Amino acid sequence: MSNKYVERGLTSPVNLTWEVSLACNLRCTTCLSSSGEPAHGELTTAEALDLVEQVHQAGVFQINFGGGEPFMRPDFEQILAACHERGIMTCISTNGTLIDAERVERLGRPKGLVAIQVSMDGALPETCDAIRGKGVFKRAVEAIKLLSKSSIPTSINTVLTRQSAAEIPAMYQLARAMGVSLRVSRFRPSGRGADNWEGLRPTPAQLLAFSDWLAQSGDVRTGDSFFSLTSQERQGLGLNLCGAAKLTCCVGPTGNMYPCAFLQTERFKAGSLRELTFQEIWDDSAIYDSFRSLRIHSCEECQRFDQCHGGCPAVAWHLKNDLNGGDPECLERCVTSIADLQGSAAV
Amino acid sequence: MATAGIKLHPACRVRREGFGLLFYDARGPRLLFAETGDLIPADFFGTLRGRDEFPEGTSEQQKTVLRKFVGRLLEKGFLREQ
Repeated sequence: MSNKYVERGLTSPVNLTWEVSLACNLRCTTCLSSSGEPAHGELTTAEALDLVEQVHQAGVFQINFGGGEPFMRPDFEQILAACHERGIMTCISTNGTLIDAERVERLGRPKGLVAIQVSMDGALPETCDAIRGKGVFKRAVEAIKLLSKSSIPTSINTVLTRQSAAEIPAMYQLARAMGVSLRVSRFRPSGRGADNWEGLRPTPAQLLAFSDWLAQSGDVRTGDSFFSLTSQERQGLGLNLCGAAKLTCCVGPTGNMYPCAFLQTERFKAGSLRELTFQEIWDDSAIYDSFRSLRIHSCEECQRFDQCHGGCPAVAWHLKNDLNGGDPECLERCVTSIADLQGSAAV
Repeated sequence: MATAGIKLHPACRVRREGFGLLFYDARGPRLLFAETGDLIPADFFGTLRGRDEFPEGTSEQQKTVLRKFVGRLLEKGFLREQ
């Protein structure tokens, strides 16, 4: 990935994360947006369809739908259809509990335009259900089995936590056994993830072990969320810098735009689609401009700077209240942290 | 097997950017930044084209460049022969 084009600024995002609703029938402890009840003033169907047209006009290639649980929105399939009519590719992040055979059949009709990620947070029911709720593992597996029989590209999406870290290789095997792929996402201290951060965050040793495992697992996707941990073996498979406001951005349930899904706060609001157009916000937002020119100077001396450019600013913000502070969970800091602990133990 | 021509792969999209063309492949996903300038419009590969077919007014020198470019796109899977 050449950064010069990205840093120069693109005419529109390559992909867009759209959290269509905060409504969710689950209360996962890792949820980045504290989903449950719908947000007050979520976009109407007409507003959502207008946004699809704006995104199409802007030339965005793909919309990644999340929430909340997207299928909680009664008009969600209508929104999807509007995307597909315009040739916009879509990816749906779902908990799987609202997937049935009829829905799979409908979703699979536009060939090659939709992919689905079903969330599961452990290879064992007890691990997954402790995070996502009783019986959710079984329901997610049922959804994945239905999807795997269809033409829809399907993946298990799992968040790496202290509890699930040891089960990631087993999840990989589980995914393979069901004929789907595995995607591992980074746990970030946002939403309920912030409330449960200390209990769920992976240890530096787990992050290091995961980085090593990932290096040997080229077919595992990460949505570029682990570029701060990327080893040499995976260089070239994805980004080596934060893509927020450069390659991607986020639209929240009420039409506010943000740099990414993990920074959906007033401080990082780039604009409202009820006041400005999608293109106007992308082109002119001061927040987006600040992300495009963000340089993590504190990391520039690091030997791995070219591989991660300071890592995830959202994690730095949530943990250190400093966008420029560098990713506290980067590979280099994990190594240093482990070495320091070992040093302490030896004294 | 003889091929009728080349076309953008169904899993791929392309759009115009200041530097030229930006290709997107949802299968990765992956991106290709092509510094083609104004050599070729973004919608050119949206319809089936002959391997040696280029926009009207393309010079011989530009055709040489574009032939290599098309070869690279085929090799990387952004275009496919059909």
